[in-house]
Amino acid sequence: MSILDVPILDVRGLIAGYEPGLSIVKGASIHADEKEIVVILGPNGAGKSSFIKAIAGLVPITGGEVLLDGKDITYGAAHLRVRQGLAFVPQTENIFPLMTVEENLRVAGGVLPRAEVQSRIDEAYTMFPDLARQRKLAAGSLSGGQRQMLAVGRALIVHPRVLMLDEPSAGLSPKFVEMVFTRLNEIRRAGLTIVLVEQNARAALAIGDRAYVLVEGREAHEGRAATLWDDPVVAELYLGQRRHA
Amino acid sequence: MNLQFIVDGLISGSLIGLGAIGITLTYSILRFSNFAHGDFMAWGAYGTLSVIAAIGALVGTTAPIGALSFGWPLIAATLIGMILTACLALLLDWLLFARLRDKGQSIIVVMASFGASMALRSLLEFIFTSSPTYFSRGIQMAIPIGLGIRITPDQMVMLATTVILVTAMHLFMSRSQTGREMRAYSQNPALARVVGIDTARVVRATWIIGAALACAAGVMVGILVQIRPLMGLDLLLPMFAAAILGGIGSVPGAVLGGLIIGLSEAAAVQLIGAEWRAAIAFAILMAVLLVRPMGLFGRAER
Repeated sequence: MSILDVPILDVRGLIAGYEPGLSIVKGASIHADEKEIVVILGPNGAGKSSFIKAIAGLVPITGGEVLLDGKDITYGAAHLRVRQGLAFVPQTENIFPLMTVEENLRVAGGVLPRAEVQSRIDEAYTMFPDLARQRKLAAGSLSGGQRQMLAVGRALIVHPRVLMLDEPSAGLSPKFVEMVFTRLNEIRRAGLTIVLVEQNARAALAIGDRAYVLVEGREAHEGRAATLWDDPVVAELYLGQRRHA
Repeated sequence: MNLQFIVDGLISGSLIGLGAIGITLTYSILRFSNFAHGDFMAWGAYGTLSVIAAIGALVGTTAPIGALSFGWPLIAATLIGMILTACLALLLDWLLFARLRDKGQSIIVVMASFGASMALRSLLEFIFTSSPTYFSRGIQMAIPIGLGIRITPDQMVMLATTVILVTAMHLFMSRSQTGREMRAYSQNPALARVVGIDTARVVRATWIIGAALACAAGVMVGILVQIRPLMGLDLLLPMFAAAILGGIGSVPGAVLGGLIIGLSEAAAVQLIGAEWRAAIAFAILMAVLLVRPMGLFGRAER
């Protein structure tokens, strides 16, 4: 394999869980290439959320490896992964509610040279003009959609290589879901790799390049996002779970 | 009615408030009630006293500044004492609290702080004996400032120092990156890690700031009253009451809480009787917990 073939994010046989001996992620592997949107689907309780949190460094890993750009970051602290270019947007509680919108962005700029912080914050405001208008407001007073924009804007402050999101559409109105996915597509075009855990399979597959189906802590199926929706194997894996229309 | 209690209350309230800053930060960031915080005050005062003795041995006797009871060695020694107290807090965290915090049960950490408090206090009694000592034995004349109120030059300087320290702390917490990181960590530790905050650094900053301010408060108690191994323990309940009254996590709240407790105690001494002084902090604490459990500046999160 030539150096050019190394995926930007390569997760191999990951085993992770909150309690020792009680793994939730049981040997899952995925990879993501440059400028790719990779979607992780799966029935409830498949361990999707724990899987992405483990990659972000929030769930203890007991086996397997996580390589970012060929570099082993399996056991690195969560804050170091961010500095190495792996950003993560959690599903819930993904903003600091008692801090203003601007402080939420600024606090993520701690790893940047001081002179660059303001221009990165302005970039976030350009991408999400709503945030600029509400920069002085407590983030806790934002609507669900605005919180999601703030969380994504904050994750992008450090110019990561890979952006991981845990169910960015959860709890949002259809209008906001469409907006979030449109923005994610733009972010990918700008050069980022995106890894997405989603319940809203149809919307996610519409912008995704490749997708994995995670079942019982392992990846059970992989395919092109465009064809996965109609793949009979996927229907089988969801095992009686009704598909989201 | 004699209004002298206002000055007395403001001064004891400032000292309580300075100490309460450390308690409120430890509680909101490290998520436990540190009962050894009062002992940081006592250790800070004794540490400063020892540094003054060392300076005295090196440079001989120095004259006090103006009408104050102390000279430059006390100021220099306090700064060194603040660093030493911060080191003591970091050492204690490394030896004890960090290991127990990792186990995830905050009640064990609280109990450990009880133990640490007793050990620190006994160690002070062992080294310095339990009899009180003083930074200066001189008697200061209080200056009348009208309405029957009198204030000593030392008291004026202590009030001014408190205002400077509290303002600096407020600016630090609201404007500096470390202050923002500390607030972020107190609101959501997991998210703080995700946004790239080095949480070990936040923990260190919390101990350093809390212990340094405790030392400053301890030295002020030493200047205005006396230095005793039990001095911190006596202030522990009022400090906790101030932190809770102000709203856990709020620096201005802790100081305002301290001033309210200090003024109430002083008023109680004058209006009800000195024997009720200690009960006041407790009564205010109970009333706050019943009426507004989140405190004056606290907010119900999320």
